[in-house]
Amino acid sequence: MSMGNGASAPPILAAERISKSFGEVPVLFSIDFDVRAGEVHAIIGENGAGKSTLMKILSGFEQPTSGTITFDGKPVTLPPNGEAEGMGIVLIHQEFNLAEHLTVTESIFLGRELKRFGLLDVRLMRAQTQTLLDTLHVPVDPTARIATLSVAERQMIEIAKAISRDARVLIMDEPTAVLSVAETETLFEQINRLTERGVAIVFISHKLDEVMQLSDRVTILRDGQLIASLDASALTPDSAAQMMVGRELSNLYPPKHEPDVDAPLVLSVQNLQSAGVRGVSFKLRRGEILGFAGLIGSGRTAVAETMVGLIHRDAGELELNGQKVHFANVAQSLAAGIVYMTKDRKGKGLMVNMGLRPNLTLPTLDRHLNGMFIDSASEAKALERATRRFDIRARDASVRAGQLSGGNQQKLMLGKTMESEPDIIIMDEPTRGIDVGTKQQIYHIVAALAAEGKSIILISSELQEVIGLSHRVMVMRNGQIVGELEGTAINEEQIVRHQMGIEGKAAA
Amino acid sequence: MTTAVKESAPSAKSRRLQMNVLGPLIALLLLLILGSLLNGNFLTYGNMANIVARASFIGIIAIGATFVITSGGLDLSVGSMAAFIAGMMIIIINSAVPSLGTGWTVVALGIIAGLAIGALAGAANGLLVTAGRIEPFIVTLGSLGIFRALITFLANGGTLNLNFQAADTYSPLYSGNVFGIPAPIIVFAVVAIIAEVVMRRTTFGRHLSAIGSNEQVARYSAIKVDRVRLMTYVLQGFLVGMAAVLYVPKFGSANSSTAVLWELQAIAAVIIGGTMLRGGFGRIWGTVVGVIILELIGNILNLQSFISPYLNQAFQGAIIIVAVLLQRSRRTTN
Amino acid sequence: MNLLKTTALAALVASSFALASAAIAQDKTYVIGVSVPTADHGWTGGVDFFAQQAVDRLTKAYPNLSFVLATAPDSTKQAADLEDMIATRNIDGLVILPGDPDAMTASIKKVKDAGKWVTVVDRALSQPGIEDLYVAGDNPGLGTTTADYFKSALPNGGNIVVLRGAPIPIDAQRVDAFMAGIKDTQIKVLDTQFANWNRDDGYKIMQDFLTKYPKIDAVWAQDDDTLVGVLKALKEAGRENEMWAVGGAGMNQIIKMVASGSAQVPVDVSYNPNMVATAIDLTALHFAANAQVDGKLIINSTLITKDNAAQFDYPNTPF
Repeated sequence: MSMGNGASAPPILAAERISKSFGEVPVLFSIDFDVRAGEVHAIIGENGAGKSTLMKILSGFEQPTSGTITFDGKPVTLPPNGEAEGMGIVLIHQEFNLAEHLTVTESIFLGRELKRFGLLDVRLMRAQTQTLLDTLHVPVDPTARIATLSVAERQMIEIAKAISRDARVLIMDEPTAVLSVAETETLFEQINRLTERGVAIVFISHKLDEVMQLSDRVTILRDGQLIASLDASALTPDSAAQMMVGRELSNLYPPKHEPDVDAPLVLSVQNLQSAGVRGVSFKLRRGEILGFAGLIGSGRTAVAETMVGLIHRDAGELELNGQKVHFANVAQSLAAGIVYMTKDRKGKGLMVNMGLRPNLTLPTLDRHLNGMFIDSASEAKALERATRRFDIRARDASVRAGQLSGGNQQKLMLGKTMESEPDIIIMDEPTRGIDVGTKQQIYHIVAALAAEGKSIILISSELQEVIGLSHRVMVMRNGQIVGELEGTAINEEQIVRHQMGIEGKAAA
Repeated sequence: MTTAVKESAPSAKSRRLQMNVLGPLIALLLLLILGSLLNGNFLTYGNMANIVARASFIGIIAIGATFVITSGGLDLSVGSMAAFIAGMMIIIINSAVPSLGTGWTVVALGIIAGLAIGALAGAANGLLVTAGRIEPFIVTLGSLGIFRALITFLANGGTLNLNFQAADTYSPLYSGNVFGIPAPIIVFAVVAIIAEVVMRRTTFGRHLSAIGSNEQVARYSAIKVDRVRLMTYVLQGFLVGMAAVLYVPKFGSANSSTAVLWELQAIAAVIIGGTMLRGGFGRIWGTVVGVIILELIGNILNLQSFISPYLNQAFQGAIIIVAVLLQRSRRTTN
Repeated sequence: MNLLKTTALAALVASSFALASAAIAQDKTYVIGVSVPTADHGWTGGVDFFAQQAVDRLTKAYPNLSFVLATAPDSTKQAADLEDMIATRNIDGLVILPGDPDAMTASIKKVKDAGKWVTVVDRALSQPGIEDLYVAGDNPGLGTTTADYFKSALPNGGNIVVLRGAPIPIDAQRVDAFMAGIKDTQIKVLDTQFANWNRDDGYKIMQDFLTKYPKIDAVWAQDDDTLVGVLKALKEAGRENEMWAVGGAGMNQIIKMVASGSAQVPVDVSYNPNMVATAIDLTALHFAANAQVDGKLIINSTLITKDNAAQFDYPNTPF
């Protein structure tokens, strides 16, 4: 392990042999990590590698299952719920914690307002805010409402707020994910100013070029394991990508059938545009599994939701079996045989406080009518069928959907999706947060559906899954398709390079 | 791989389920016992018929409210809407008397107008909620004021009286009997039975509990959320119209004090009956029991002589809170 | 203090001064604020009607008078109305029927302290001496008059039930006076409940009284709206011939029944909402003709019988 430019200083915050499990599921295995005054230490890794959990442990939002945290050389138990801010450890979340209707001054002093004779000393707080913003070179009016600020400006306010609380360790979760190039530059200048003042920065990013440019040291996590912690100068984007993903494909995945190049086109999307989608075109064949890779927020879900009429389509065309179609709502797309299975199981997929049966038949109740009335026997039969087909395991038939395990919820949702017997199924993160055994079941179901002649669009942030299942892969970045991979080109390195913007440029 | 869905349920769970179903019925039974202990005339057919007949107005409205609340909505305007519709019916009937006479034709016209105005008023609420994207609380709080002001205006601050002969023709619809059962009870029962079937056995009923349970899930599950929502308000308006149709022959009049605070009684009945105020689950028979419980409380208070009439409302309030408290503790044990 | 005695006298005074003042048109103009409760039952509906009518009539009669009429559903709004009248309408005088006199006393005192003329209608303020003119119905009188009738109609006593109004002071004044009036008689009050001057409640409570008591000789409903509900309940139970019932206020529909000699509703007791018009008339006279109208005017609660019913029949009221 080599040392960065904070080499001489002892670590402010360090984690020793930190492990963490959520229930039965281990997510971090004996991680060592430390950060010194005046250094930028980046953490990189795939989605699900454990970065966020590590970050939450370092800021007290989660407690480690085992291992020690030391602060200024002394072992500590960090207080929960952001109270570690009092010790100078500040986490800046991906979603900002600023109340939109407050002013800049009010935001910065929120919770520790200055008072005079029991009343708020507005003038003093405003003056202090102005001084603070001046030292940080942030050109924002202290009386401006947060709602009127740009995303970058809001981030600066978050940082200013952290500084005003004498932050010694600043942990930033993908701070550049939402910033433009120019705004990113400003942020980096800011970070440099902070390190000069001796603040330690922990920085999480998916953008390898930024990581190389900014960090002194880089820690790479994969599957909850510490892969390496090394000097940034010892790293190239290629070697970083390899370390992030370097795992052999297991037999988790069913054998891939060669895609039938003569199979008819079932879907053709031309120049699709909507909120978050900037001109996406692709084609889908019968029996094909088309993977959609990309970072979170790259527009994959938006593409799917635009296709089925959940998001308003601004421009572009959809052709289903050669016919132009437009869906104003889900009922129409479902009738046309194209369905979208959401990644948000509890928020959008299932009614957690209702039973399995109403959940299963919700989109297809019309198929269970006897005259005007719902035929509950027919519904019960459907549940029995789906239970068998997708191996849904419930304590008994009367449980509510929310009482099922994540994997069984996912299978119930799969059953619900398949009830309408669609030809095209868009699956969004179909294995998110479920155990590996159920994952394997779902992979086999997906492959079997394709073998039956269904066409599948598989959106996933787990590269392994995209690679293990897809016949073809589209890589998205910033609302556009930036790469299309086929055959042996479907490998993690290629996908990572595309999704990080190292390779491939957006097609107009 | 094994199929693990079993149909049998653990006994503790089924007991809880029974409590959930039986809760309002037990409350009803306790009130009936209390009433019969207090007064020998309590359990007579006449007194029971009085109670259910009185309950029928708010009952029919509360059935509509059950639909609205189950879908996650709220309608505060029902009381003043009922008064407004009653006023409109009286005006329409009175103005049609010269041309149509005072027979059933004119009464039928009034009834049809009442139901239609109700549905339209409900549609107005519904459109503001769905197309206008305004909170139902705000929309119906606004229309509550509007309808109340309109009836005051229509009555010129006083009372609208139905043409005397027309009122005679119309009167049997309230005070008439079929096989000794008062007419309003029959209408109430028919509405309740149809509503129970609609709630439990139609796609509409299923869709509204889905929307109330989680609007996003409903939208992602191919349900036309706005259309279903709108329909609940139209249905509510229609049922308010039906309550007005039964109310007009009662006194043959309407004024600004007609149906005051009925909205709160209706909502209370719905909640006592076990429907969840935040939506997602509703049961019509529970609402029917709830509305009868409310009338029973009033009846028992009038029949006894121990509690000072000054404390009537406290007694009613306490019973409502206890009824809902029982449900709350039931839910948290789950 | 000027103690005028009856409505008839007040009307006489009003009309004579109206003629006089039309002749002596003055240059100086005055604004009179009128604040009344929103029509929440029949009687307040009548108040609003008569107030509006008086304002329209007086605006025409006196070119130098203008009026600001506001209705308020509660004391908060009524107090705000007064502040607005002072601040933005610059009133010279105020005629007010306070919805809740105790709650409104302070606000009305402020108007008086600002040097304005104040006429209070119907409900006495909690602090005496604020108003220049007090025009009121006779609440204890309503109870006493009714009690006198019950005594004469039930000389050998009998069982009666009482449907009160709402729990506010005027209701208590009426009921207390009634109870005092029948104190040493054989008349027995079986039961008392609040019916809120409302038809539905009157109907409901009467139904339950009928269930509870097999023998009732008479009903005091105190208010004609409540009485309508009572009559409906009696009719449905088929017991309309067993007992008679008395309301109060002088609602058109009930006056007509009394006039026609109904056995079920033999009499009514006046408590007419047009007292507000009398108050506005007198206040207008003060400004338009500089008439001496301060003091107290109590309008008697008269027993309305078949013989005098015609006097109380105001055909055009919605009340």
